[in-house]
Amino acid sequence: MDKNYVVLPCNGLDKCAGCITREIALILKEKISCEIICPVFYRVADARYNKLANENQLIVIDGCNTRCATRLASEKNLKVYKKVNVSEVAQKNNITLSKELKVGEDEKRVIEIIINELLQENQNTSKDLEIKFPETLDYEIYKKDKFIFRLPKNGFYFNENDCWVYVDGNLARIGVTDYVQQSLSDIMFFNPPTVGNEISQFDEVGTIESGKAVFEIISPVSGKIVRINEKLLESPEYINENPYEKGWIADIELSDFESDKMLLLTFDEYFEKMKRKVDEFHV
Amino acid sequence: MSENTFMGVPREKIDWFPIIDYDKCNYCLECVKFCPHDVYEVRENEEKKVIVKNPYNCVVFCRACGKTCGVDALSFPDKSEVTKKIKQLRMEMEQNG
Ligand code: SF4
Ligand code: SF4
Repeated sequence: MDKNYVVLPCNGLDKCAGCITREIALILKEKISCEIICPVFYRVADARYNKLANENQLIVIDGCNTRCATRLASEKNLKVYKKVNVSEVAQKNNITLSKELKVGEDEKRVIEIIINELLQENQNTSKDLEIKFPETLDYEIYKKDKFIFRLPKNGFYFNENDCWVYVDGNLARIGVTDYVQQSLSDIMFFNPPTVGNEISQFDEVGTIESGKAVFEIISPVSGKIVRINEKLLESPEYINENPYEKGWIADIELSDFESDKMLLLTFDEYFEKMKRKVDEFHV
Repeated sequence: MSENTFMGVPREKIDWFPIIDYDKCNYCLECVKFCPHDVYEVRENEEKKVIVKNPYNCVVFCRACGKTCGVDALSFPDKSEVTKKIKQLRMEMEQNG
């Protein structure tokens, strides 16, 4: 995370929704240690806040549709990263805000909903979703006639459906093994999974197709698809060239790898299986 | 011969294979042509011209032949149930040494 957050609540003291924006700002300060901009002070002295708002991701919180905080932000030419309108959220969740200025039970629920949404966003966007994938891989090779089957040795797991996964923290990259690529021969079509989809282990995550057959890619792990290898849409033959490097399929944000691992094979186990499959089918 | 275990669990303990809905099936035999694992068998002279002869040859979690069936007559068990069962069987096996 190279950016921090700064929050600008409208802080409207004469309306309940305005008071809620203040509560939200206080909770955010505690949870993601962001700075708070005081709208009143901002109007009289803006040097410090301009700097703060420009160097960080700005979250603007309006209490009602007068949108005082948003207006202030646009007056000051700030780039808004995220906007919340408390009254809108309350309405959407069928909660009627009190006429009192104190925060009661219903108001607390609204606060909770907004905080959860913001934190989730925060997790998704602030976390660096670039997977660290090794630059070069070390392969073990099995040869059968003119066919060469490579298998990367370190850091990879496999499922029995001939797909691999490489794990880096809570991210994983998946793809198919040389066995698939060799069995299909020239791959002509990649039908990708949908980015953003939640999948569980052994769900289908797209297909690849050659003149010979369609192969369902079966995910070795559960989680959310955060990226697909878009190059494959143009050049599915990358999978034939190297299904572990330029022919990878997708990146997944893992949800429970410890549990997935129970049904995955290590390099040694899969290498043995692959050899057997090659001997059985590649005649 | 084909695999007889899946993740260390005897294959016969895992209920994963296609089920043919004979009300829908029109015996086009695409599934038979498609699957390389000898799961199906054609029976020319019977009413049910195709059957799932070797269910345990079916690759656990494969559903590929289902896509070849134009009338959507093939179905598979619930994947997460099966996953759960396999994990449970593995746990039991570990406990029994
Ligand atoms: S592909 Fe479908 S319709 Fe054709 S034989 Fe198989 S189950 Fe029946
Ligand atoms: S699911 Fe796969 S292995 Fe099973 S019968 Fe269909 S094609 Fe064959």
